[in-house]
Amino acid sequence: MSHGSTKLNKNDISSEIDLHVNEVTVAYNNGHVALFDTTFDLGAGTICALVGVNGSGKSTLFKTIMGFLTPTRGSVTIGGKPVQVAQKQNMVAYIPQAEDVDWAFPVSVMDVVLMGRYGYMNFLRIPRATDLEIAIESLRRVNMLDYKERQIGELSGGQKKRVFLARALAQRGRIVLLDEPFSGVDVQTEAAIIELLRELRADEHLILVSTHDLGLVPSFCDQVVIINRTVLAAGPTHDTFTQENLARAFGGTLRDLRIDHTDAPDGTSNEFRVLSDDEEPLIFGHDGRLVDHWHPGIDEEESK
Amino acid sequence: MIELLLTPLHYEYMIKAIVVSGVIGGVCGLLSCFVTLKGWSLMGDALSHAIVPGVAVAYLVGLPFALGAFASGLLAAVVMGVVKSKTRIREDAVIGIVFTTFFAAGVLMISLFPSNISLKTIVLGNILGIADSDIIQMLAISAVALLVLVLKWKDLLLFAFDPNQAQSIGLNTTRLNLMLLILLAATAVAALQAVGAVLVIAMLVTPGATAYQLTDRFGRMMLLACGMGIVTSMLGAYISYFLNGSTGGCIVCLQTLVFLMAFFFAPKYGIVAARRKARRTTDALLISGDAHPVPALRGL
Ligand SMILES: Nc1ncnc2c1ncn2[C@@H]1O[C@H](COP(=O)(O)OP(=O)(O)O)[C@@H](O)[C@H]1O
Ligand SMILES: [Mg+2]
Repeated sequence: MSHGSTKLNKNDISSEIDLHVNEVTVAYNNGHVALFDTTFDLGAGTICALVGVNGSGKSTLFKTIMGFLTPTRGSVTIGGKPVQVAQKQNMVAYIPQAEDVDWAFPVSVMDVVLMGRYGYMNFLRIPRATDLEIAIESLRRVNMLDYKERQIGELSGGQKKRVFLARALAQRGRIVLLDEPFSGVDVQTEAAIIELLRELRADEHLILVSTHDLGLVPSFCDQVVIINRTVLAAGPTHDTFTQENLARAFGGTLRDLRIDHTDAPDGTSNEFRVLSDDEEPLIFGHDGRLVDHWHPGIDEEESK
Repeated sequence: MIELLLTPLHYEYMIKAIVVSGVIGGVCGLLSCFVTLKGWSLMGDALSHAIVPGVAVAYLVGLPFALGAFASGLLAAVVMGVVKSKTRIREDAVIGIVFTTFFAAGVLMISLFPSNISLKTIVLGNILGIADSDIIQMLAISAVALLVLVLKWKDLLLFAFDPNQAQSIGLNTTRLNLMLLILLAATAVAALQAVGAVLVIAMLVTPGATAYQLTDRFGRMMLLACGMGIVTSMLGAYISYFLNGSTGGCIVCLQTLVFLMAFFFAPKYGIVAARRKARRTTDALLISGDAHPVPALRGL
């Protein structure tokens, strides 16, 4: 387990857009300390999962990185600059949890995506031809161009998520924060979001995505930060996303099954543990590292 | 007949009343879009009552009424903020306590120290008997509010819709919030003498609520609400001449009439349209041969 600072990407560009969360403590007005002494580092070209149980402070951490909450101690810097400065340069795009938005608002899909371009427009916020082009292109990338005149409340959960993804794309932020993007979306949207995030990673973006859907994490995240009011573990998925760390973070909320196959023909120790959050089981070998994640074959074998 | 209809226009005070009402109605209409969407109608009502003691003091000491009104409106907003942050009382209760206190103090002051302004004027409005100096103040406030709204409506829209996004692109949301609050107080001040403290909130809610039923585009909503504010206010002032009744009452009743028409007959969100659509869809599903509209449940 690696604790605290981990920084893998040594690209030149990463120094420009790295995210540095340094000993951050956040308390709410009612005195509740939601985050304590939280420290980690991330560089460009990364998809990092932020995992933790409900109430572990994922949304709080996002809101702190976005500057909506001010840490009582510690600091967040983006490319060495304070958050507010980075935001003025449109470096950070944020995709909120679905319940944070008033869906009955009289705005169309295109209006929402154009809001991502406000930072580039003059003070009257009149879109130029480039802004319109970029908005259209962003909608096309998330496959929502046909819906551009729809009022945003008239979309399914997955479509709404895509629209906000398009807004983030239109904003051209090099750092993209997604709070629970997979909750309440259909399987196609889930796949489309993951595909898009991979493209952004290839394009040297830094992506931080919170989820409590553990099964998805190993399939597309190269880094993991596990939190429960502070960082329990942070680093590359292979080293960090271990059975021990997850058991510490999720404790009794995960189903823990032990499957012993020591009678295997080749005689090697073959003990498996399966951790499941009831969505997609994770399967760990005897070294506590991930063997495989969701896999129909294993599913069936286990049930025998 | 024509002659009869034109009589109000022979009087200078009527022409003034119609024009001033129209201007204020238009500005209130624009702002009402934000008030309805942001759920600030209680706040608007509170501010329009909380400005009363300021008006009373201003008339007593001979200051411009707008200055006093504005000061007491903002003072009330600050008091609400402080009380809310220091207690566990819910926000609407805090607003209720603070604005009634301000209003009561104003009413008491006016009744104890009679001045140029009567209690009736403040509570019910008196656009027909308004002094020129007051008209100038009302027009000046309206002009500034209009300018701010025209220049900043997109930022205010983003702030109202998604304050997090507004902040994440570097907009100052504290300032936008304050801007909206000040606009609200300012238009309440401007509308006070036109329709009276009690009815100001109608001007600040009804046009927006009406327009919201007619369109899914914020820009169009603002135009509709503004147009409706102008037309109903001018017409209300005009009609009140014949009825010999309260101008404020006339304007607000007209607005309610338009609201009700939209409520029933709006093309998409009106009650009639919704009924018709539901019936059509059901008929279509019945004709298609399957009694149950959910395919998965067919044959159960
Ligand atoms: N506005 C708030 N005021 C007080 N406590 C809050 C507030 N928002 C969240 N909390 C508390 O902070 C903790 C972390 O919440 P949150 O960051 O939303 O968790 P997560 O997103 O991981 O589910 C929870 O215990 C929650 O109850
Ligand atoms: Mg959350």
